[in-house]
Amino acid sequence: MAVYKRGYQRYEGGRTSHWNRILVMPRFSWQRLMGMKVTIVVLAVSMVWPLMCAAFIYVANHAELWQGLGGGGLSNFLSIDGRFFEVFMNAQAVFATILAAIAGPGLIAPDLANNALPLYFSRPLTRSDYILSRLIVLLGMLSLVTLAPALLLFVMQVGLAGWDWLAGHWIYAWGVFGGFALWIALVSVVAMACSAYVKWRVIAGALVLGFFTVLSGAASMINAVFRVDWGRAINPAMAMNQIWRTMMAMEPLDGPTAVECAVVMCSMGVVLLLALSRKLRPVEVVK
Amino acid sequence: MSAPQIVFDDVSKFYGDVLGVNRVTLNIPPGITSLVGPNGSGKTTLMNLIAGLIRPDRGTVRVRGISPEDPEHLMRVLGYATQYDAAPRGMTGLDFVAMALMLHGMSESDANKHAWQALDRVNLTDAAKRKVGAYSKGMRQRVRLAQALAHEPDVLVLDEPLNGLDPLVRAETIASFREYADQGRHVLLSSHVLQEVDVFSDQVILIANGAIMAEGEIRSVRDEIKEHPSQYLLRCRDTARVAALLFGEVDVNEVKVLEDGSGLLVMTRNRDGLASALAGIALSGIEIDGVIPADENVDALYEYLIGGGR
Repeated sequence: MAVYKRGYQRYEGGRTSHWNRILVMPRFSWQRLMGMKVTIVVLAVSMVWPLMCAAFIYVANHAELWQGLGGGGLSNFLSIDGRFFEVFMNAQAVFATILAAIAGPGLIAPDLANNALPLYFSRPLTRSDYILSRLIVLLGMLSLVTLAPALLLFVMQVGLAGWDWLAGHWIYAWGVFGGFALWIALVSVVAMACSAYVKWRVIAGALVLGFFTVLSGAASMINAVFRVDWGRAINPAMAMNQIWRTMMAMEPLDGPTAVECAVVMCSMGVVLLLALSRKLRPVEVVK
Repeated sequence: MSAPQIVFDDVSKFYGDVLGVNRVTLNIPPGITSLVGPNGSGKTTLMNLIAGLIRPDRGTVRVRGISPEDPEHLMRVLGYATQYDAAPRGMTGLDFVAMALMLHGMSESDANKHAWQALDRVNLTDAAKRKVGAYSKGMRQRVRLAQALAHEPDVLVLDEPLNGLDPLVRAETIASFREYADQGRHVLLSSHVLQEVDVFSDQVILIANGAIMAEGEIRSVRDEIKEHPSQYLLRCRDTARVAALLFGEVDVNEVKVLEDGSGLLVMTRNRDGLASALAGIALSGIEIDGVIPADENVDALYEYLIGGGR
């Protein structure tokens, strides 16, 4: 038996926390995404609508600017209410989806194509940690076009209208932030699932957009063929809109209730997560 | 105190109906251990079991006393490089290795320091800040190696680490494996280049169809193969006379004169008997220039134990 002299020093320094390790991958991914021109362009374009909304808030809170212009009609139009936030959210949700279609495919597809999963899983990182770290990349990116501008608009409105306005309209904050959180979570899971199943980025990106358009078309077809209105529940945009309206205490639209829509959306998310988890195996089995 | 080992105790792994490995029992001591076997024989499965990437359906694996079920501890002592070009193309070599270290739990400054050291070890410092996508195949192989050894693991598991390396880098890499192993660490690797495996391995594991065919030091494995007589290459000038004398020996099974007439290929089942016969011939005044074992190598073991699998 050979006798070996231990002549090396293993790393015995401090270790960062589990959460810190999970954030390592998002950090490098954000760096890469922010280096892509298309991401910057979409981010820039997606800020146009929030800027217009900010201008609207400014005008709505400065009655002296439009007094005597249109009477009561204009006054009703220039009010910061649930309808205003709903319109803002609908527009930003579209940008969030486009951004997910751009950023999502580059997250998991290359790791699967390069068989890089063993590389990550031979670190103190579980499959759930991997999914979470990839999800954080998307949640962070999508927050830039949803939650961040929403927060700025809200702060601006509270700053201009005062704390009394907030006390009477806090439900909008709940609706906007909770509603956006649900939407970006759903969009992120869809983007990740598409990325896991399609190796080509462009096709995976198209699939993300296709997922929403196909379901929207399918919902309309179901409603038309069966003369029902519950088909809306499988249209993510419509279903989410119904949820947002209910969260902001607005009059619900016809069709399935917010709870029914939420159940369908949650089920969709769970199925996609399961499909994603199934695909992420640490080793490839050659049959 | 006995050296820490990698232990497989009656381990089986099936992928559905597909056999990975079957009832494997192994004790792998520190040093360079080469896994040799045809494609699909179970080499990568063994490596994945050590790395904890898959769990055995039966039996237990322990890596220097640590169970692969405990990744927090295992990953600190284990470095793994797969056979695939897994490094993200858009990342620089330095970022790739540093990211791997940060995933181990190192701070950014420690990770960068160790990443530079690892890249230096594989002679990749000049290309450290270039994107992996611009690397040659050999450079990608080296950056993969760097990420595996950057945290100074006790156990280095490398799947086909010499593929794609040019002869010079290959020699340097093998030298670094030797240096690693001489420090009391485990270097477990798979390779198809049997001639090389011969040169640098302390022990070999021959595997076929998920079963271990042989394991241990090459010579002791060869000694165990009784059905094939040992072959020796005898260098001498007077080949005809030496051959005639050897034919008269009971312990010599077969003698062939080499085509170029420079010596003989002698087959025997009794090494000691052959040695005393040769001593007798030498003492009688016939010049014998050298005797070398012709089949104490992985190539021959592979041929005897696994056969036409290659």
